Amino acid sequence: MIRTKKLDEKKLNFWESIYIVEIVKGLVVTMRHFFINLFFPSRIITVSYPEENLPLIGNAKLKSLHRIKLRKDGSPKCVACMMCATICPSKCIYIEADETENYVEKYPKVFNIDMSKCVMCGLCVEACPEDAISMDTGEIVGGSYDRFRNYKNGGLFLTKNELFRHLPHETISKSGAANRLANKYLEDKND
Amino acid sequence: MSLDIIKSDLIQYFIIYKPQIFYLIETFVKIGILYGAVMTLAGVLTVGERKLSALMQDRVGPNRAYILGFTLWGLFHVVADGIKMIMKEDFMPKNANKILFTLAPIISLVPILFVFAFIPFGNYINIFGYTARFEIIDSNLSVFLIFAFSSLAVYGAFLAGFTSGNNWGLLGSIRAQAQMISYEVVMVLSILPVIMIYSSPSLSGIISAQGENISGFVPKWGIILQPLSFLIFFTAALVESKRAPFDVVEGESEIIGYFVEHSSMRFAGFMFGEYIEIVLFSMLISIFFFGGWQVPYLSDSGFTLGNISIPVNHYIKVILELLSISVKTVVFSCIFIFIRWTLPRFRYDHITKLCWKYLMPISVLNLVVTAFFVRAF
Repeated sequence: MIRTKKLDEKKLNFWESIYIVEIVKGLVVTMRHFFINLFFPSRIITVSYPEENLPLIGNAKLKSLHRIKLRKDGSPKCVACMMCATICPSKCIYIEADETENYVEKYPKVFNIDMSKCVMCGLCVEACPEDAISMDTGEIVGGSYDRFRNYKNGGLFLTKNELFRHLPHETISKSGAANRLANKYLEDKND
Repeated sequence: MSLDIIKSDLIQYFIIYKPQIFYLIETFVKIGILYGAVMTLAGVLTVGERKLSALMQDRVGPNRAYILGFTLWGLFHVVADGIKMIMKEDFMPKNANKILFTLAPIISLVPILFVFAFIPFGNYINIFGYTARFEIIDSNLSVFLIFAFSSLAVYGAFLAGFTSGNNWGLLGSIRAQAQMISYEVVMVLSILPVIMIYSSPSLSGIISAQGENISGFVPKWGIILQPLSFLIFFTAALVESKRAPFDVVEGESEIIGYFVEHSSMRFAGFMFGEYIEIVLFSMLISIFFFGGWQVPYLSDSGFTLGNISIPVNHYIKVILELLSISVKTVVFSCIFIFIRWTLPRFRYDHITKLCWKYLMPISVLNLVVTAFFVRAF
């Protein structure tokens, strides 16, 4: 026994069955869209991505391109404790420590992040005891029409030059024990 | 001494064959103008379709191809697509008929291109006493010749599917034959009333008859005298160009169509042929139903409406007439595209049912009624 299902097809009335009225109705819809978009191109909500960026909404901004925060004098807040490099699941952070003359004693001579390996998990930010590395720039990595274009001259391989920077209109953070020591040292030096 | 003789001979030949030489030059110029315009329009339509459909669907459309940083609203995609097509692998299936497989795109392209020779794309121009008509072949039976040649295009679709050795291709070409051959009957039947009304089987005769006015101010265009014919012809033209809503031949989601195995420029031949067909049918619709190159109320003596008359320079009149048919052609090409992006696909049996059960009796009825009125008045 074959199971059959009977479909109730809607009976078309005369105007529907000659198609023309319905075709005109359909054309009115598409033509309205066409002419509105033709004369007011700004109504199209498409964002041409690499050239145009929408502002990142909410906390999405806290998972954007890395940077290392700086102190008042421009020295990095990073103390080369290797926390971030250790916790990094994709092993994309490479740090070489060196000595410095202030209380903090350590600073990163080399600080590289290979963005082609980074998974943007944000664990480095969580791990940092000095609130030095952060992902709050609001920039998106690698989005570009030309895939071979360098990202800020350094490609996807970020070095000190790209990482160590202030954001515009930034209030300089005072968190972190070593940072407080260093700031105190700086104040003493000014006096 | 002998050189002088040759020179004088040449001059003499030139004097004897002057009309022939002038006619040759005139024909080449006309071929250059018409085919240049048609090819350009068809090329622009390939990207225009993508752009128009994008605007209808609130998208931006192709806008990335650029030369020296200028994108020109995506117009360079024509060039980019062409280069891409040429660079692609030219694939030949193992069990395909080599000769017919190669011939198929040519057969689907050439008859359509040839038909343009019969199309008058302007009235006439008078340069320094030399009169040239804007028509490459002036034939008394051009309407029938057009349908005879354009119906040859079905052989392209038929051969492509049958010789490619692919079952999808075979299925596509069977569908193409079924719908194209059935709708050719309807197409010709829908044009017969137009021929009767203007009592001329030549395109130039039909167009010049449409220059008159009904009761003084309504242009005597086909759309006003034969609206039913227009609808039927337009439907048949949609089917003949094998585009949505009658694109079961391709049916992107089910079978790819008769050109499954064709790649690179072979496929481009079919695709370009489709757009040239759109241009052709837009031109035919504007000629049969919208007065071709006729500008309303414009005649040799200028614009005349009742007692008011504004004289117009001959060259301005020629330009106006050329513009008239170009604008009509572009508008109808756009309408073809709008319809393609508005309506869903017809079911296969609905297409043939629409042809044989509805359009065919209606067009025959239309023919009989028109014949009665033409005889009575």
